[in-house]
Amino acid sequence: MVICGEAIVVGHGKANMDFSKVINLNESAAYLFRSVVGREFDAAELARLLCEEYEVEEAVALADAQKIMKEWQEAGLTE
Amino acid sequence: MATPWRRAKRLKYADPEVETLQHKEFPNEGLLSVISQYVAGGESAVFSVKGYSMRPFLEHLRDKVELSPFTELQVGDAVLAEISPGHYVLHRIIVREDNQLTLKGDGNLQGVEHCTVDDVRGVVTKYIRPGGHVLMADDPKLKRKIKLWGKLPTFVRRVYLFIYRQTI
Repeated sequence: MVICGEAIVVGHGKANMDFSKVINLNESAAYLFRSVVGREFDAAELARLLCEEYEVEEAVALADAQKIMKEWQEAGLTE
Repeated sequence: MATPWRRAKRLKYADPEVETLQHKEFPNEGLLSVISQYVAGGESAVFSVKGYSMRPFLEHLRDKVELSPFTELQVGDAVLAEISPGHYVLHRIIVREDNQLTLKGDGNLQGVEHCTVDDVRGVVTKYIRPGGHVLMADDPKLKRKIKLWGKLPTFVRRVYLFIYRQTI
């Protein structure tokens, strides 16, 4: 969702939306998240998505994809 | 902070090591508006409390509340109300006369807000303390404390809040 012009992810508990755990995504992170939400993916797929959308070298995209996967995991967005 | 990636493929982009993820505080107006929409849709929402006006029962950025849709409102309920367009308060109903409500923050010694039932966006159903300890809003013990607090003389509340501020 978008709040105050920023793309965010909000945690959804069993019975409520938890707006106290809002995570802010920049443009490219929001693009990646929208592309893979609800399904399994790996760093290679994220890198491919980045290369499709942005002018970025594959090696850089892969490194960035691995970093963002780690950040998502730490934030509890992925398992 | 680095510049985020650009969408245009032929544009050079900067180092993507930006604050891609961050826990963020949004202005009350934007966040509470979205929360209000969720609650209006029948869902409950949890959010961190901002401000000191509900002391000693809710503490700024320490406590969270669960806000839920309501069918009935009564004196003693803590509610989120849009008292003017885009201006929200999370205060307690101290007077209800038909559709008209008077609200007051527990920690406010003076000053009340007036609104109608239609301005209420949700009612607090849970008080969530650090560590996840949950107090139900309809807990009889909590309700007694809130009632007692409301009946204390202003001077006593002022002294209590002063001591509370020193110890928090």
